[in-house]
Amino acid sequence: MKLAYYPGCSLHSTAIEYDLSTKKVCEALGVELVEVKDWICCGSSPAHQSDELMSVALPAKILSLVRETDDLKEVCAPCVSCYSRLRFAQESMKDESVKRDVEEIIDAKYPEDVKVLHALDVIVEKVGTEAVKKKVVRPLAGIKVACYYGCLMTRPPKVTGKQQFENPTYMESVMEAIGLETVDWNMKTFCCGAGFALTQTEVVLELTKKILADAESAGADVISLGCPLCHINLDGRQQQINKKFKTNFNIPIFYFTELMGLAMGIDAKELGVFKHLTEVKDFLKERVFV
Amino acid sequence: MKIIGKKDMKADRSLAEEIARRSGENVFLCYQCRKCASGCPNRKFMDSSPTELMRYVQLGMVDEAMKKNTIWYCLSCHTCSVRCPEDIDIPRVVDTLRILVEEKNIKADDNHSRLFNRLWMTIIKYLGRGYEVGLVGALNLLSGKPFKDLPLGFKMIKKGKLKLLPSIKKPFSMMKMFSRARKLKK
Repeated sequence: MKLAYYPGCSLHSTAIEYDLSTKKVCEALGVELVEVKDWICCGSSPAHQSDELMSVALPAKILSLVRETDDLKEVCAPCVSCYSRLRFAQESMKDESVKRDVEEIIDAKYPEDVKVLHALDVIVEKVGTEAVKKKVVRPLAGIKVACYYGCLMTRPPKVTGKQQFENPTYMESVMEAIGLETVDWNMKTFCCGAGFALTQTEVVLELTKKILADAESAGADVISLGCPLCHINLDGRQQQINKKFKTNFNIPIFYFTELMGLAMGIDAKELGVFKHLTEVKDFLKERVFV
Repeated sequence: MKIIGKKDMKADRSLAEEIARRSGENVFLCYQCRKCASGCPNRKFMDSSPTELMRYVQLGMVDEAMKKNTIWYCLSCHTCSVRCPEDIDIPRVVDTLRILVEEKNIKADDNHSRLFNRLWMTIIKYLGRGYEVGLVGALNLLSGKPFKDLPLGFKMIKKGKLKLLPSIKKPFSMMKMFSRARKLKK
């Protein structure tokens, strides 16, 4: 199986471990990822907050680049923000006048037949949990995981196509396939504050604290997620939260691909798990490599 | 019969109409059920709730809708829009308000969000891709908080999560896209 791969800016910087682990896991599962030729930024939130046309044109350009990459028709976008912008643009391009303007801006024909998949969609829809199960060599038994989806992986359903947007369970199916125990909790689609990390940091600290507290009270040992923005808020700001709210969080935050890679016996260093800001070394020593 | 404040009874539909024209969203469908306000994760920080915002737009109350911090604290998380019984895309309405604020250069309580957006768009216009170190550096300097998140930044550089130098991809084709978009908007 061959898919185009659009890492986006985050996976080449703050979420480098997500890039590494996604590639490793896909390779092990027989999914060939071909990086989109000369890809550009999707515009993310700043584009849709400030420029109607460019917020559609940038993703539309990326979709046209997907078709130019080995003539592929499916693209894997592991970053939820990229995934959401690409899918939103596809909705907007259904409007004829928007399409006319955007095609003029990107100076290319817009391809209508590209399917945009999040990395988790690739695992669930294209590979399937049964195939994942067969690759597990080190089941992560006895570890409780809270699956965190965040906002835009499932919402809004008219864009993502996910019918279970308040209480999704498909990440749980993958985590269970690799041996983890999943917990029931309330915050799985609660927003972490996402792109407000730099401008309204107090929002991120407040919302992220709620997420961590709920995961902890549900008995989770780790949180699994699939978004670079969620990861940097939950992983990178735990110390700031502890300082501000006098809490004592020390919860390892994993990309779901990292947990899959660990269960599939891929070297932890190759997956990039030691790049987290909330250290996972002790956790891995005590709970995984025993 | 004398009606007190009769002059103030006129509602101005022009803001709602402009939003409908640009976003395709009809705010008059809102009947103030407050589902959006009760689910909004960020209500605590906002001057008004999303429900109140919809009312301000219906009534054309520009100052309340555009100058307060409400629209700048919307996370675009879509918790409201998926629960709205009238299927109003509230984050889209908020985005359109933000764009109007920017275009009309209205002084608003935006917490440096507009600066952040402008810096981001400028970076990708010239470099093609994001450049975190440059973005944070410029944002901190221009917003008067030069040392904000510095320890976090150093940790991330040490872990190899931030690149000190940007990667430049096809800057000319990106600049051309931006200039064609600007021409179209005129």
